[in-house]
Amino acid sequence: MTATPDPRLRRRDKLTSDTRAAYAFMAPALIGFTVFVVYPLIRSAYFALTRYNGLTAPVFVGLGNFRRMFTTDPSFWPSVRATLLLVVLYVPLSLAIGLALAVFCNRRMRGVRVLRTLVYLPVVLPVVATITLWKFVFNPQVGLANQVLTWLHLPTSEWLSGEGSAMPSIVIVMLWSVGSTMIIFLAALQAVPTELYEAARIDGAGSRTMFFRITLPLISPIMVLQVVLQLVTALQTFNQPKILSPDGLGGPGFSTRVLMLSIYNNGFPTLGRVADFGYASAQVWVLFLVIVVVIAATARFSSVWTYSDHVS
Amino acid sequence: MTTSPDVPSAPRPPLPPRKAVRTASWYTVALLISSVMVLPILWMLTIALKGHSAVFQVPPRLLPDEFHFENFIDGPKAIHFPRLLLNSLVITGLSVTGGVMTSMMAGYALARLRFPGRRLWFYVFVGSMMLPPVVGIIPLFQLFKDIGWYDTWLPLIVPAWLGGNPLFIFLARQYFLSVPYSIDEAAKVDGAGHVRIFFSVMLPITRPAWITMAILAFQLSWNDYLNPLIYLYSSEKWPLSVGMASFVSQFAGQTPDWNLYMAANLLYMLPPLAVFFVAQRYFIQGLSALGTVNQR
Repeated sequence: MTATPDPRLRRRDKLTSDTRAAYAFMAPALIGFTVFVVYPLIRSAYFALTRYNGLTAPVFVGLGNFRRMFTTDPSFWPSVRATLLLVVLYVPLSLAIGLALAVFCNRRMRGVRVLRTLVYLPVVLPVVATITLWKFVFNPQVGLANQVLTWLHLPTSEWLSGEGSAMPSIVIVMLWSVGSTMIIFLAALQAVPTELYEAARIDGAGSRTMFFRITLPLISPIMVLQVVLQLVTALQTFNQPKILSPDGLGGPGFSTRVLMLSIYNNGFPTLGRVADFGYASAQVWVLFLVIVVVIAATARFSSVWTYSDHVS
Repeated sequence: MTTSPDVPSAPRPPLPPRKAVRTASWYTVALLISSVMVLPILWMLTIALKGHSAVFQVPPRLLPDEFHFENFIDGPKAIHFPRLLLNSLVITGLSVTGGVMTSMMAGYALARLRFPGRRLWFYVFVGSMMLPPVVGIIPLFQLFKDIGWYDTWLPLIVPAWLGGNPLFIFLARQYFLSVPYSIDEAAKVDGAGHVRIFFSVMLPITRPAWITMAILAFQLSWNDYLNPLIYLYSSEKWPLSVGMASFVSQFAGQTPDWNLYMAANLLYMLPPLAVFFVAQRYFIQGLSALGTVNQR
């Protein structure tokens, strides 16, 4: 992955035709990097310290936005709670189900390719299309979800319109697309050398031992990568709560108003309210810092979790 | 459910009873998984074929009594589907072209040209892959508003033409690294410049790479909801994602014509489905590359 030092690359080659060509080829990406990465990063840090409605000039308020967030805003802590609930429900479930499905699909059976395709199918469909489909599935009177529960003689639920059941319903919608996790685990499983299983089988190992002693250690680097990816995805969830909540604001109550939705509601309000760019930017930074901490912590501890082969 | 990965074994003539039980339980679970994945889609198809009153029948029935194929005409008409479809096609077409082209160019420079700073820029682009998009939304909204691009398609298209997605630059570079260097040396000897080498030598060789990228870019743009939602005020400029979501929330108050909506929703799903089935090989390859990226 890392570029090896090239003997031909010497100081006096500066501004050779290669250098000029390289910067010409990279020019669009460099402009894009400046305008779409560097500039917003600096600018949003500044916005976070101001009172700013997007119309009149920003007024510097120091940490005022953060004080408001942590002390007076009645919706901030509920939105943190909703975000954490989403993460706690979604991340472990998607990893466990994704891995279970990958193990299940990693066998030579007739029809296993069809099964893989079907599991992957929801990932391919447009997000908005699947979310709106599920909105109707969860309709308490005429939706499929309650109908299936009735067939199975199980109690029905109010799904998205109940404060307690709204977030679990959203997690179900997100878990329907577990195929993307499954496919990545499947690729990792298929990279495990089969000789290891054969050797273990000769030594009399059962399938459970093989899974915990061979499979899991060997796919642990991918596991860590998946944990990071899923955490970052879950923390930034927006589409599902936005479209599925009955009021579009993350209701009922604050039950599904995750941080991303709170940022959107403050920054791009509907119904004639004035935008609060300063406050929304402060929330962006809270979310951003959480993401940075999560990535750093996972990277820090990944050496403990992952197996590495010191011999070869 | 058993957890042992199947180890390819010798041909298996008559099944021993234990193995037969295992096979049977595998198929039972497989059937269960498939129905969870497929049932909502099939149910959607039956709604799209039902009449208005049948949708609200309590208790609901799985299959329609009579088939209303005209829903596939009336539904799209009722929610301005053709207009939205055209918008989506233009936005997606332009951003895919730009995203793939400029990412390939940057990847070419990073992988095949020797110049001071090429490591630095590689790390810069890889680093910006880690940056969550949420950081940019407010300053960028303000910027686009200030230069008069609010309520136009430009904020959805122009970023793609400026290297758009750092992941694509990374993928392009990785692929270019695998192309033998003798090829461009030969082209150089023949007197070709970098532009010539890029277009006539590299692009044909790297076809699998940019097809994969184009598919990913298509998916991202076709599915994008937040950006068009932020930047597009006028409903006649909306792409399908915003349009379809908005019709559902409009319906929430009144009696929704779910049968018409689901018919249109199925049409919205068709292009990505078609791409998936035609290009399945590339899809899996692209994702598998992620799965093995850290493995020894």
